[in-house]
Amino acid sequence: MGLKVLQGVETLCVARCDPAKTGQHWSVFLAPQAIVPAAAALSAAQYSLEDILALDTTDGLLVVYHFNAWRFDERIALKVLLPREDPAIPSITSVFQGAQWHERETRDFHGIVFEGHPNLIPLLMPAEDVDVHPLLKADKARRAIRDIMDAGEIVSCTGEIAALFAPPADTSADAARTDGGSKA
Amino acid sequence: MKRQYAGTDPLAGDFYTRQFEKDRGEHTLVVNMGPQHPSTHGVLRIVIEIDGEYILRADPVLGYLHRMQEKMGEVQTWGQYIPNMGRVDYGHPLAWNWAYVGAVEKLMGIQVPERAEYIRVITCELNRLTSHLLWWGAYILDLGAFTPIMYSFDDREMLLDILQRPTASRLTYGYFRVGGVRKDLDDRCIEMIKAFIPRFRSRLPMYKDLVTDNIILRKRVEDIGIIDRDMCRRYGCSGPVLRGAGEPYDLRRCEPYSIYDRFDFEIPTEETACSAGRYLVRMAEMEQSLRIIEQAVEGLAHAEGGHIMPKAPKPSMKPPKGEAYFAVEGARGKVGVYAVSEGKKVPYRIKLRSPSYSNLHAFAEAAQGTLLADAVATLGSLDLIIPEIDR
Repeated sequence: MGLKVLQGVETLCVARCDPAKTGQHWSVFLAPQAIVPAAAALSAAQYSLEDILALDTTDGLLVVYHFNAWRFDERIALKVLLPREDPAIPSITSVFQGAQWHERETRDFHGIVFEGHPNLIPLLMPAEDVDVHPLLKADKARRAIRDIMDAGEIVSCTGEIAALFAPPADTSADAARTDGGSKA
Repeated sequence: MKRQYAGTDPLAGDFYTRQFEKDRGEHTLVVNMGPQHPSTHGVLRIVIEIDGEYILRADPVLGYLHRMQEKMGEVQTWGQYIPNMGRVDYGHPLAWNWAYVGAVEKLMGIQVPERAEYIRVITCELNRLTSHLLWWGAYILDLGAFTPIMYSFDDREMLLDILQRPTASRLTYGYFRVGGVRKDLDDRCIEMIKAFIPRFRSRLPMYKDLVTDNIILRKRVEDIGIIDRDMCRRYGCSGPVLRGAGEPYDLRRCEPYSIYDRFDFEIPTEETACSAGRYLVRMAEMEQSLRIIEQAVEGLAHAEGGHIMPKAPKPSMKPPKGEAYFAVEGARGKVGVYAVSEGKKVPYRIKLRSPSYSNLHAFAEAAQGTLLADAVATLGSLDLIIPEIDR
């Protein structure tokens, strides 16, 4: 059974998580342009926004939205992977006004641009340090998504996202083959 | 990223004032409330546009107490980060302790001994009482009555004496450990708790007669600062703000953690969605906390296990890779910690979700069209702890 509340929204990957292990019930990967329809669907189903954060990974910047329902225990994590060069994503402030500060904070910490945000100015960081993003990691400390989280029990998934979680066997196999080839 | 910020006249106020003045109407005045205003309980600043005595727009300016707690999480080991949790929110630090160790325990798949769970419940609820008493005294002080804070600090002092015994501190507790708590409650501590419960129960009716039923207070707080259910959802408000709007959402019941399902207690709610509603919810919550403590002290006597699991993880523990979200009900609402591990001694990412942050955000909308004097009554009713907002 899939995630009913997000029916009609284009998802890249829907996976069931173990709440005892992760504290989340669903992990959903979305394309950037699907975030506003997804937020609208959750808002219509009376979900409330908990927080927005970003993770700096070698695959790009991963923006995570946590939504939670009041009447039943369910936490949904929406995840959007953005390229490091141009980390832009539509703002969900038109649906959840409370996202304004969370988005400004995420811009402060990771430099993500929320398009359509009414007032994307520094919130916690000083106004003069507008280009300083303290939570961006050094190249050496950065990890791939597969090294920091599990895919969960996948319900539906595109190849693109599945490749993020696949063990990096392909490259090592390739390397072994080329090694073998050079020896021969 | 370079962007153009408003700034017509470099001498007209600072960055945030100039930003705010862009949308300013005619014949109005822009004033700053804070960051050193006594009723903001710390260094919160609110830029307000007023027309006479009425607020047209309000915009909180944060960051004066920003310490980058989340970055600190990425440069210390998992165990070294626990003292930080005592400093995020000085009002109810044990809730933050709990949210953090709870997230790490989820990552590591640790089951906490029964006795440790009871101790966590008791100390966390005692800490909730100190937080509510601090809020109560300070709120009434904001509204112009000096005496009640003396009464509330009289009671709070006893609670601090109790909590001081196991935690060895009086304000910024770093008491919880992954797998349990730092120290067991001794017999003297249990005696003090048992003596405190009837005493405090006898004080609550006095508070009601003296303050809650006082017509002057009622006139100041009733129908002031409306934050209704829908606003709460849009802004992500939680805790007494949400319960004061009639939604019985309390994580101790709705997202049950630890052993809260063993206790018999109620979730007080008020339908009014105003400052008075939030006030009454907190006053009723104190009674419920007493009930929980009473039952937990009874249960502690025959709880199994020690105050910490045998062979508890060391501060240099390495939780396996993964993500974990753990939320507990703090005095101000949903306290959440999202921890991501790459399987090393140092966390990969720690995200702190603080309840006051969302609760304050709703203030900007709630203050529109109200009197300037009522803004103080509204702000105080949100029970803001600024270090928690700025982190």
